[in-house]
Formats: sequence, structure tokens, C-alpha cells
Amino acid sequence: MTIDGLLPPLDPVIHAQPRLRVTVALAALDEGDQITFPRLQEIVSMTAGNLSTHLRKLEDAGYVTVTKAHRHRTPVTYLSLTRSGRRALEDYTAALRALLTAPEHQLPQESSP
Amino acid sequence: MTTDGSSGETVRTADEERAWSPEESLAVIRAQHVEAIRRLSVDPVPILGMWGVAWLCGFGALYLASAEGPGPFLPTWAAGLVLGLLFAAAIAVSVIQGVGRSHGVEGPSRRAAAMYGWSWTLAFAGLFAINLGLIHQGMPTRLAPLLWSGSSLLVVGLLYLAGGIIWSDRVQYGLGVWTLVAGAASVSAGVPANFAVLSLAGGGGFLVAAALGYARAVRARRAQVQL
Repeated sequence: MTIDGLLPPLDPVIHAQPRLRVTVALAALDEGDQITFPRLQEIVSMTAGNLSTHLRKLEDAGYVTVTKAHRHRTPVTYLSLTRSGRRALEDYTAALRALLTAPEHQLPQESSP
Repeated sequence: MTTDGSSGETVRTADEERAWSPEESLAVIRAQHVEAIRRLSVDPVPILGMWGVAWLCGFGALYLASAEGPGPFLPTWAAGLVLGLLFAAAIAVSVIQGVGRSHGVEGPSRRAAAMYGWSWTLAFAGLFAINLGLIHQGMPTRLAPLLWSGSSLLVVGLLYLAGGIIWSDRVQYGLGVWTLVAGAASVSAGVPANFAVLSLAGGGGFLVAAALGYARAVRARRAQVQL
């Protein structure tokens, strides 16, 4: 994934479409707000299994906080983006823009031999 | 871009894990952002539009039903029914928008929105208590329509000022200022011209705000595309 050039490396955690979409959706919340799992699922239109797999990866990277609570005796899972998650998305977007304006327009994945 | 599958790179098991071009990734960000905002934020346009129609037609009907005006063109009970039904519809649109969009979200912004929603109920409960108290204390009944129109517009104007402050929204704040002016004008107009002021200035203010909100949404969507 890394590239020894002038181009910025892309964060492998969010450089995968489902995780990128989850991160973007969570970034639309105001800071300090959190969202329930089903509501997030509706916004990113993913299956529950798929969403939890990707959430786990984002949580492992420290980008997402998962909070388990009880509402009227029913367990509810709340999700929110951490500060570093928000920063990772900003850095990722900035890196994409840098790639687009780079003269060669090469992709960081295609590391030269 | 990863046509050489035998390059010995990390094996990407699914299509979703394959490398994305910067353009594709930016398009994904843009689309998901627009979708999340659309589903999570209250759209003021239908709310303002519905209230605009309710004020324009509801108070317009009261004006046309008044014996001292150019009419009466319709009975007072019919005008009252039109006003009641349109207000019930506008309240329903506002509550459905507010509750639906914040469903499943917890935190400071949800709390602020809920407190703001309850402020309307509380403010109008207070207004009813004060006005009915004044009438009960022997206030001349010919002044009652002016009391209701003036005090309602004062409360609506103040709540829109508050909404403008909370969400840093110039359109809402401007609507609040306009509504305060219309409230003062409705009292100086006297009965039944006060109903015409409520209908045209009050309802018109909401409709202009709805149009401004719509124009802003269109501009925002265009700016998003050029991201």
C-alpha cells in the first residue's frame, strides 16, 4: 500500500468502499452525537452482517466508538466517529485531491517495481 | 487498474476491497455524504411551505368571513374549520419531519432539537393561558382578535429567532424578524384587517422563507457536485 514517492499514501482502513461509506455517514453527525445500528444500516444500505464486519475493522483502527446501551430493556448499539476517525477521513479526502492534481496521476497501489 | 492479478500484491478477496481510483473514491464520498445529510437533517422547505399555505389560506378565510370586511363571503365556522384543518396539517408535517429525521440519533444535537420542539408547545400553552386569563378578567372582546394575532406572531417570531440562533440559520432568523414586524402591524391594522396582515404578511413570510430555503438547498447540491 505504501509508495515511496511524493504522492500521499491512502489510509487502507478507509480505502475500501463500504468502510469509506460508513465513515462518511458517521461524519455527517454532529460531534458528540451517536447513531443506532439500524439507522446507520439504513443510511449506508448494507446488510447487518456486512455492516458489523466493517464496523469492527473501523473500531479496531480506533476510528469508530461502539457503545452498547439498554433502552426499555432492549439492547441498543450506538455508533459514532472518533476524533481520529474524523481526522482520518479529512486526511484521506485531502490525499485523494492531491492524487488528482498530481502530474503523473498514478495510483498509490501500483507501486513501481 | 489491478489487471495484473499475479503481481503478488495483497490478495483482494472481494470487489469492495479492490483499489479505487481517486475519482471513484471522491464520488463515493460525495454520494454518501449527500445521502446521509438528506436522511439525517430536517428539511425546512416542506415545513415552511405548509405553514405558509396554512397562514395564507386560514387567515385569508377568516378575513373573507368577517362581517366588517369586504365580505362576508363564507360563514365564520367554515373559515374556522379551514384554519383548524390547515394548522393541524402543518403541525403534523413539522412533527413528522422533526421526529423522523432525528430517529435513532442520540446526543447534544438531538437534545437541542427536542428542546426546541417542546418550546413551541410550551410557548403556545403559556400564550393561551395569558390570553384566556385576560379575556376572563374582563378585557373588551372586540380586542380579542388583536390580542390573539399580535401575541401569536410575537411568539412565532421569537421562536424563529431562537431557531436561527441554534442552527446559525439566517433564513430562520430573518423570518423571525419579519414575523415580529407583521405582528406589530396586525395590531395597528385593527379588526378585520389584522387577518389580512396575518394572511399576506405572515403567510407570505413563510412562503418566501421556504423559497429561500429551497434555493439554498439547490446551491448546496451544486457546490457538492463540484467538490
